[in-house]
Amino acid sequence: MKKAEPWIGLLARLVLGGVLLVAGYLKVFTPDKSMMAVRAYEILPIWLANILGIVLPWLEVGAGILLIIGVAIRYAAMFGAALMVLFIIAIAQAWARGLSIDCGCFGGGGTIDPSQTKYLEEILRDIGLALCGLYLLRYPITKFALEKKPSQELVPGE
Amino acid sequence: MSSKTPKGPDNTTRNLVIGMVVLVVAVGAIFSVLSNKENTSAALPSSVSKDDGYGIVYNGDIKGVPVIDIWEDFQCPVCARFEQVNGGYIEKLIEEKKAKVVYHTLSFLGPESALAANAAACSSDENKFLGFHKAFYQNLPAENAGVVTAEYLIALGEFADIKSPKFGECVKNLNYKDWVNNVAASGGEKNINSTPTVFINGKEIRRGTSGTDLGEYFDAAAFVKAVEGK
Repeated sequence: MKKAEPWIGLLARLVLGGVLLVAGYLKVFTPDKSMMAVRAYEILPIWLANILGIVLPWLEVGAGILLIIGVAIRYAAMFGAALMVLFIIAIAQAWARGLSIDCGCFGGGGTIDPSQTKYLEEILRDIGLALCGLYLLRYPITKFALEKKPSQELVPGE
Repeated sequence: MSSKTPKGPDNTTRNLVIGMVVLVVAVGAIFSVLSNKENTSAALPSSVSKDDGYGIVYNGDIKGVPVIDIWEDFQCPVCARFEQVNGGYIEKLIEEKKAKVVYHTLSFLGPESALAANAAACSSDENKFLGFHKAFYQNLPAENAGVVTAEYLIALGEFADIKSPKFGECVKNLNYKDWVNNVAASGGEKNINSTPTVFINGKEIRRGTSGTDLGEYFDAAAFVKAVEGK
């Protein structure tokens, strides 16, 4: 098991980092759409949703790059996992309130036809990604990371 | 804990990489926020009113008639459907001065939407916006497929009886690029989350709930009723 951990960690880094990088990249150049996607959740005041719609894709790109090259793994993984938990909450509340929206995870987003919603798939996918982040938080030493000895600061008592 | 902190070249590379990533993220995010702000010095096409969310306004001076606000994106197929169902009636309302109509041309579907919105503003300067608008939707190309270019839009303008060379210049030079951004920013402030979104006297008309319920958007008779009231 000890030997497998760094390899599983590599996989977790590439999956979570890859998804964040692609999802962010698909949105950074279409800010109008991304702002619309955040507004459609109807959680935040409009001005805040608009700012988040612009800034979040860039943060995703940043965390994705760090995870893929393997630097500041714990911080990036914690950010990624926290983000996924927020997404799960946001999607679940939209589902519970009966909104018809696209999660806007990979571009797109906004109000859609009720028959086109995919809340369950979106939530399951984000749970999987959150688990990747949590794994890296626990086992940050992974194969082919630029940073060979990630800081242990985030896990007290280790 | 300090024994676990990496030292030497590994640490330098780490900090360098972190610094670069933070810089890219910060510059990108700040640049995006600034370029999405309203630009108060933008050139405005004729018949645009800042007070009406930078929309292209018809019958703005007529009082006591219903106000129809149409938020659309030129590349949105559902907007083409709305135009197909209700476009003729809306044009008639404009001609007979029975409604104030405001067209808000959003561009969230991509660069070709922005090109089209700019050209539509140019057509408004020639008093041919309605014709251009109709011609565009009747020939709606696939989304961001590279079809919508300055040449395409100029040819479409001829189709809508726009012959002035000024129109071509305006399309090519993106004269109303900043205005297009302002319309988008205004849509964001008004919480427009899909297209088309249509308001009558400030209230959104009813959206259909299923394939068979067309709502007030795609049922011509229901739309007429919504405009003319009880």
